[in-house]
Amino acid sequence: MSNAAGDGPHPMLRVPWELHELPNGLRVVLSSDASAGVVGVNLWYGVGSRNERPGRTGFAHLFEHMMFQGSANIPKNGHFELVERAGGSLNATTWFDRTNYYQSLPSHQLELALWLESDRMGWLVPALTQETLDNQREVVKNEKRQRYDNQPYGDWDERLHAMVFPPEHPYHHAVIGSMEDLDAATIDDVVEFFRTYYVPSNAVLSIAGNLVAEHALDAAARWFGEIPRGGPIPPLPGCPELPPRIGETVRDEVRARVPLPRTLIACRIPTIHDPQFHAIEVAGAVLGTGRGARLYRALVRQRRLAKDVVAYVYPLTTGASMLVVWATGYPGTDCTELEAALVQQLEGLTSVTDREVERAIALTDTRFVRLLEQVSERADMLSMFTLMFDDPDRVNREMDYIRRVTATDLRTVAQEWLGPDNRAVLAYTPDS
Amino acid sequence: MSQTPSPLSGRPLDRTYVPTTGVPARLVLPEPDCFTLSCGAAVRLLERHDLPVVAVEALLPGGAGATPVAHAGLATLTADMLDEGAGGRSALALARTLDGLGAGFDSVAGYEDSRVRLWVLSPRLPEALSVMADVLMRPTLASDELDRVRCERMDTVLQLRDEPGSLAADALASLLYGPGHPWGQSLLGTRASLGGITRDDVVRYHAERYQPGNITFVVAGDVTEAVLRELLEERFAGWEGRTESSGIECAVPEPDGTVVHVLDRPRAAQSEVRVGRISASRCTPDYFSVVALNTILGGAFTSRLNARLREEKGFTYGAHSTFHMRRSPGPFIARAAVHTPVTDQTVRVILEELTRLVEEPVPEGELERAKRYVALRLPQAFEALGDLVTRIAEQVLYGLPEDYWATYVPQLLAVDRQEVRAAAQRYLDPQSMTVLVVGDRAAIEERLRGLEIPVRLLTEEAA
Repeated sequence: MSNAAGDGPHPMLRVPWELHELPNGLRVVLSSDASAGVVGVNLWYGVGSRNERPGRTGFAHLFEHMMFQGSANIPKNGHFELVERAGGSLNATTWFDRTNYYQSLPSHQLELALWLESDRMGWLVPALTQETLDNQREVVKNEKRQRYDNQPYGDWDERLHAMVFPPEHPYHHAVIGSMEDLDAATIDDVVEFFRTYYVPSNAVLSIAGNLVAEHALDAAARWFGEIPRGGPIPPLPGCPELPPRIGETVRDEVRARVPLPRTLIACRIPTIHDPQFHAIEVAGAVLGTGRGARLYRALVRQRRLAKDVVAYVYPLTTGASMLVVWATGYPGTDCTELEAALVQQLEGLTSVTDREVERAIALTDTRFVRLLEQVSERADMLSMFTLMFDDPDRVNREMDYIRRVTATDLRTVAQEWLGPDNRAVLAYTPDS
Repeated sequence: MSQTPSPLSGRPLDRTYVPTTGVPARLVLPEPDCFTLSCGAAVRLLERHDLPVVAVEALLPGGAGATPVAHAGLATLTADMLDEGAGGRSALALARTLDGLGAGFDSVAGYEDSRVRLWVLSPRLPEALSVMADVLMRPTLASDELDRVRCERMDTVLQLRDEPGSLAADALASLLYGPGHPWGQSLLGTRASLGGITRDDVVRYHAERYQPGNITFVVAGDVTEAVLRELLEERFAGWEGRTESSGIECAVPEPDGTVVHVLDRPRAAQSEVRVGRISASRCTPDYFSVVALNTILGGAFTSRLNARLREEKGFTYGAHSTFHMRRSPGPFIARAAVHTPVTDQTVRVILEELTRLVEEPVPEGELERAKRYVALRLPQAFEALGDLVTRIAEQVLYGLPEDYWATYVPQLLAVDRQEVRAAAQRYLDPQSMTVLVVGDRAAIEERLRGLEIPVRLLTEEAA
């Protein structure tokens, strides 16, 4: 086993960590905190909707559901049942680039979590049945109905992705996928996906909380050590390469059952691995975090054009990522007026002041420290930095990068990424 | 605690058994220091110095339950207005100060309480508390800001009419409590009630409700008692007053047999199903029986409702139930968003599950599992500073005894099958449930009528 330990200081808070790699390639990150009564056990698998092949959109997420349907030694729902009985909580989420599974348990129940997680990483296939697949297919279709189809503006994410990323790009489709593709999924698909992506060498296991590192590592090695490493991860389907900008302003104008007009603008931006990404995150906070933010000040307060505003930066890895801003108008507000106001704010970032940057950094700092209060979030971040950057210590340095961002960096961001040659505009007008 | 190597270490691995290891870590329960400020406000402080952060909550009883129906939304509107300018600073100047401090700050009102909350790095506590003092004692409550906030609020109310979950929540509250009860209204108010609220109403509500004699400051984190006392005394000196009553006494309608109410949402992609009735008070002596009962029925993933409706039938993404316990009896609500063609079956299953709890004792093993689930999760409820504040505030708001959390687990574990069944009989009588479906009437009405339960159609205005 190889290992490394982190010691980068952080003025507010330092998350201790040690990284180990089991012979089968599973990376294990441990972070001890004696004051916690709980332990967070978190797995990130390097697979998400970007890995789905044509005709199988939504499959990575459906697969995530199948991971709770039992494995060789655990009955259907045994995972939920045993963790809940032990006083734990658990869940999983699927995203474009990864799928994560996590549970928080009283700290003495660490072995239970490792048993459950290792059983499904190693031996999911023996438990698969058509019946559980059909059942979870219905559950997922109901999830889609509840969270997207039956919600006003519920398809915004799908529509933006389709505009910002070309049809051959793995981010062209939303994580939830389509009903037809969900219907088409078979047991063979589940088996193949499992054997390809759910292998130790494509995963990071993080354990944070009340633990003794030596014992936790021993336990991780015992439970996960005998799972075979797995083969190389196949290249992404489609064409992950794409030009840095969209090339024009593209539009999608929708008349739908929505109560109020809303305009969204998305820009293609560099990925989380690009040094500019931190400046873009700060730009997002200058625009959209807190009441001192530009969108709120200008659109909601000064002009009273919008009733709510949002700015959000997607953390994506493949070819490009995405910055999204939106504004919801009042009854009768014209979507093009909202668009013009949003554009003015995007372009206006070239006049950002040092004070605004400081404000944005202070707020980002607070959010980050607040997240790290919980062991489950700490474990999640350690998995993320290890899987995406091969560097758990990023958890201690991330805020340093953010703090170094200057007003000049934001001006560059505005000029390079937020111009008319790089916008997707989505406008919802009420259909009544 | 895993301070010793696991007994499993070095042994051959047996994957066929649930690994059992160690004993639970002893949960160190918060024992806050209590003191009173010269302005009359109470303080509960729980010191924790492992992170340089402090969470502060100013808790005031009252909330939406203390405002008449004609003024529905006044409590939340006043809460929203507090930081729209205070102490001579404009709303944006306040926001700039708080943002610059990196502080988290908000001001909210619920059914029976109002809260102003602050979360800040401890070196910046003094300045952040000054803002909090301005907001509590000296809000500007300017007319033009009120007009804007009200306008946004009215359109939020409009927006929520297109969100089926929100529609269902409001319609059910109205059915359960009736149109004359403050809890029968949305916390946000209606477009009509909001339109009628004047600046004078807001000023009066603030003057009556936000009084130091009613406030408890609940504080957790990196500050000592001496420092906190001085900071608070300095900022709240000279403030005085106290209001006696904290709510409106109001009769609630008696349920008259189980009825299915349908709120039509043409072409809806799903049906939002609710089954509810007014149930228990937070101060009820059978509180722990209710907790166990609800955990069995719909409080956890593996509860009966989710097991049947999701994991067995695939009707829904999730089915849950909650006893919303307040000082006076709050609603019990079972809920699921389901595929339209199975709407009637969902109602049937939920009522069946209620009947089963009323008629049959729960198996010992299932009760044991439910109790363990709640008891063993307790450490998670005390993890972050915000959690600690919430737990202490709960004690204050409901007048729970000092040793409440210390005796929580033994009281819960003492609940037996008879008590669970008695609680089910008391609160879950399937003959007196209000069923509500928000969905595509054309697709569901006929089959709902097949349930042989009276069906009534609601109009959106009535809801």
